[in-house]
Amino acid sequence: MSSKPFNSFEIAQTQFDHVAAQLDLDEGTRDLLRWPMREYSFGIPVRMDDGHIKVFRGFRVQHNDARGPSKGGIRFHPHETIDTVRALAMWMTWKCAVVDIPLGGAKGGVICDPHNLSAREQEQICRGWVRQIARNVGPVADVPAPDVMTNAQHMLWMLDEFEVLHSGRYPGFITGKPVGMGGSLGRTEATGYGVVFTLREALRELGIPPESTRASVQGFGNVSQYAIRLYQQIGGKVICVSSWDQADQTSYSFKKASGVDADALESITDRFGGIDKEKARKLGYEVLPGDAWLDQPVEVLMPCALENQITPDNVLRVHPAVKIIAEGANGPTTTEADRAIRERGIFMIPDFLANAGGVTCSYFEQVQSNMNYFWEKDEVLGKLDVKMTSAFHAVSDLARKRSLYMRDAAYVIAINRVAQACKDRGWV
Amino acid sequence: MTSDGATSRDLPRFDRRFFGGAETLTAIGSGALGGKATGLLAAHQALAGRTDALRFSELEIVVPTMTVIATDIFDLFLSRNRLRDLVYAGGDDRRLALELQRAELPTELLGDLWDLVRQVHSPLAVRSSSLLEDALAHPFAGVYATKMIPNNQHDPETRFRKLTEAVKFVFASTFFREARGYVRAAGHGIEEEKMAVIVQEVVGRRHGPRYYPDVAGVARSFNYYPAGPARPAEGVVDLALGLGKTIVEGGRTWTYSPAHPRSGPPFNSVEHMLEQTQTEFWAVNMGPPPAYDPVAETEYLVRGDLADAEAEGTLRHIASTYDSGSDRVAPGLRSAGPRVLNFAPLLQFGEWPLNEAVRGLLRLFEERLGSAVEIEFALTFPDERDRPARLGFLQVRPMATSGETVEVGEERLRDPRAVVASTRVMGNGVTEHIRDVVFVKPESFDIRHSRTIAGEVERLNAALTAQARPYLLMGFGRWGSADPWLGIPVTWAQISGARAIVESSLPAGAADMSQGAHFFHNLLSFRVAYFSVTEGEGATIDWPWLRSLPVRSETPFVRHAEAPDPLRVEVDGRCGRGVVLRGNGGPP
Repeated sequence: MSSKPFNSFEIAQTQFDHVAAQLDLDEGTRDLLRWPMREYSFGIPVRMDDGHIKVFRGFRVQHNDARGPSKGGIRFHPHETIDTVRALAMWMTWKCAVVDIPLGGAKGGVICDPHNLSAREQEQICRGWVRQIARNVGPVADVPAPDVMTNAQHMLWMLDEFEVLHSGRYPGFITGKPVGMGGSLGRTEATGYGVVFTLREALRELGIPPESTRASVQGFGNVSQYAIRLYQQIGGKVICVSSWDQADQTSYSFKKASGVDADALESITDRFGGIDKEKARKLGYEVLPGDAWLDQPVEVLMPCALENQITPDNVLRVHPAVKIIAEGANGPTTTEADRAIRERGIFMIPDFLANAGGVTCSYFEQVQSNMNYFWEKDEVLGKLDVKMTSAFHAVSDLARKRSLYMRDAAYVIAINRVAQACKDRGWV
Repeated sequence: MTSDGATSRDLPRFDRRFFGGAETLTAIGSGALGGKATGLLAAHQALAGRTDALRFSELEIVVPTMTVIATDIFDLFLSRNRLRDLVYAGGDDRRLALELQRAELPTELLGDLWDLVRQVHSPLAVRSSSLLEDALAHPFAGVYATKMIPNNQHDPETRFRKLTEAVKFVFASTFFREARGYVRAAGHGIEEEKMAVIVQEVVGRRHGPRYYPDVAGVARSFNYYPAGPARPAEGVVDLALGLGKTIVEGGRTWTYSPAHPRSGPPFNSVEHMLEQTQTEFWAVNMGPPPAYDPVAETEYLVRGDLADAEAEGTLRHIASTYDSGSDRVAPGLRSAGPRVLNFAPLLQFGEWPLNEAVRGLLRLFEERLGSAVEIEFALTFPDERDRPARLGFLQVRPMATSGETVEVGEERLRDPRAVVASTRVMGNGVTEHIRDVVFVKPESFDIRHSRTIAGEVERLNAALTAQARPYLLMGFGRWGSADPWLGIPVTWAQISGARAIVESSLPAGAADMSQGAHFFHNLLSFRVAYFSVTEGEGATIDWPWLRSLPVRSETPFVRHAEAPDPLRVEVDGRCGRGVVLRGNGGPP
């Protein structure tokens, strides 16, 4: 095992270098794209509830905005680093490009642990973050969104501060707002449904009827719940799902050969997304170790929880029946495990394609907010389906034409689009 | 061709290319396709395998491009929105339709519909295709809604909205009052019914603010009202300008026998022809948006008159002109004068082989279905003469006819027990279980009150249907007329329990005997005998006997009486003679 600490930005740069070589990008374009265009690092002084002043460290990284305003979440995390934020900003650029939405990539964050902060203190951090960066973000420059440990309330505080500073109403400044306050219908479902829209197309491409397939899903958060629902609606059967148990500080898998019932499981889920083991047993579920979701004899795996879940250590446990992996989470497969999956001929729907339904719907929210005219839910979901389906076809067509692995094909398309935009603008 | 209902597996999946895709008939979803779509699929297959005799260089015959939303989507729509209790409970049609407009279409459908409207900017017909229609005996003609949408709005969001509204409206029509009555009369429960939806291109061309075909037609391979040289087995064709709504709802059309295309309807005089010619037509409204009304079937339909059509150049192949100097009608538009839609350039001069095509299609589908058939089609002429005209094949239905041989001779009409006798009767067979008679009272009848009469009949029909009592219905003028001045404007559901219907001529003597194609088709499919009585032509109604019957109930215009013994209804479909005989009226 390497003693070198895990650095996601280095991984992101390595991935980029690999594809840049395939695309034969010139040196200038490579230099531009392997680093963020702009980085902001600032202190946010907050008067805490006990009266003392504490300065929090905030970031905003804008990786590239050649294709449109930057887009990316704001993370509140005690172990936040600038390199993590850089990597995530770069991945946002590729994600927006692969689904062909006119946005660039960004990410932001504050080093803090909201569990230890009062609501007032969190509000002060949100407002302070906006005050520091207000001149460099906005509906036509950079559009933040919720991410790890931030939510719709944080977005509304940030929006309010931005509007105070700019003396007007700018609902397109930020996404992830509640419906009725500038949010979009369909946003809740978007990421999970997006995973299944791409999965549906993959099944069609492989000539596998959905009703003949079973799936195992890691995670029981928002993404997996809606992915399970739509996958079962199109005929598939989910037989296993895992979830994190806050009390036991470990995860469990819940198996039911006749198919899990997302609604029933949701009704016995706590606020951390943990499924009650005893109640699940009463509902006929077999409770297994947390990583058992990976061993299941299914045709489809949907890792929808965390990064680095399929590793060289466990990739051999992936059942021979598995035909497709749809990555609902960001980076659930390590580079080495990815190689093994590729060699086994499993069809991979890479994370930044499979889970791009979320950012696509955020884009829809921004469009609606800028117009201050909001669509019906069916319209949002219809557009989302078309966007995700088109993106999938573009990637799979290229993969087929040039005999590329799906992940590589997705990167080729995304990086090529961004590089072309930079060229078209005369930057490189 | 089979009578079994097709499913989405019988069609390729909609590949999100409506026009220009590999297939012109596709499906969305995974359920049944319903009766209408099954018929169109069978027609598509039959046309693909047709002989050279039914291939014309001047006329292209196609089933217009369509995709079918299978019945599983309908099921998902009802269950996910928890609508079943609401829709099965019934209620006001409009309120029900509005409730369903508020519900969400299943996610599985949305991407396909969105991609469809992104590509297509021309009118679409959103048509019902119900599961129970699969039963050949009950083709459910005109029971459910069809909605035409212009689909020409600039932004795809509006086109998407209009398409989804139309799909929900067709779903809602499954539970409309008329449909419920029809399903019940066909011996089914409303819970058994499921609806597929056909999204189909509208055959036609745009002419300014209107979009319509040059000719719409309904042809039947058996003619129950032969006139002049025509024979029943030669069939009958109705043609009209514009959308087929004019024909199926019983508007003014040009009726002819395909064996004698040069002989038109039996008009008494040129003046009569001028009076009876089609003067208005239906089209899809491509102009400024009308008042928003997503639960109106006609939201995007608009009428035009002959002056509009002439200005739009669509009379050229179908109209003639009355010359008052010679008191004659001359084909074409060369001189000024009133226009007559007698389709003379088509039928007399054969400018396009429409009649040959219609005869061939009737033969083809009669052979395929093994019974008499009714087809609907629409025709557009090309801009340039060297290109073929396009005949869009819209529907094929079997005509339910009884194979029973019943002999009703001339002498039978004079039987002293005859309550009703006529030489113009539609249907075939014998019915012996009717004791109830619902009749419009001659003494209080006034055509001005025809709508009121329709309402009174409806209430009696509901009561009798609930008690499963078939009845004899009698009145003045054309039952099912779209025009309240020509008869009683009932819909099928309002008289669904009648098993024999008598139409007595109006005092003014209106001669037009045809109902709309849908009403007519329902008469046939439910094997309802339809008597047309013009007193003094060997036809009689025994009003004194009817008035002597014990009265069960009475309204201002309608009486419900009960005969002491069952009536016997005999109809000889071969010669069109029929009688209703009172008690113990067995064969002599």
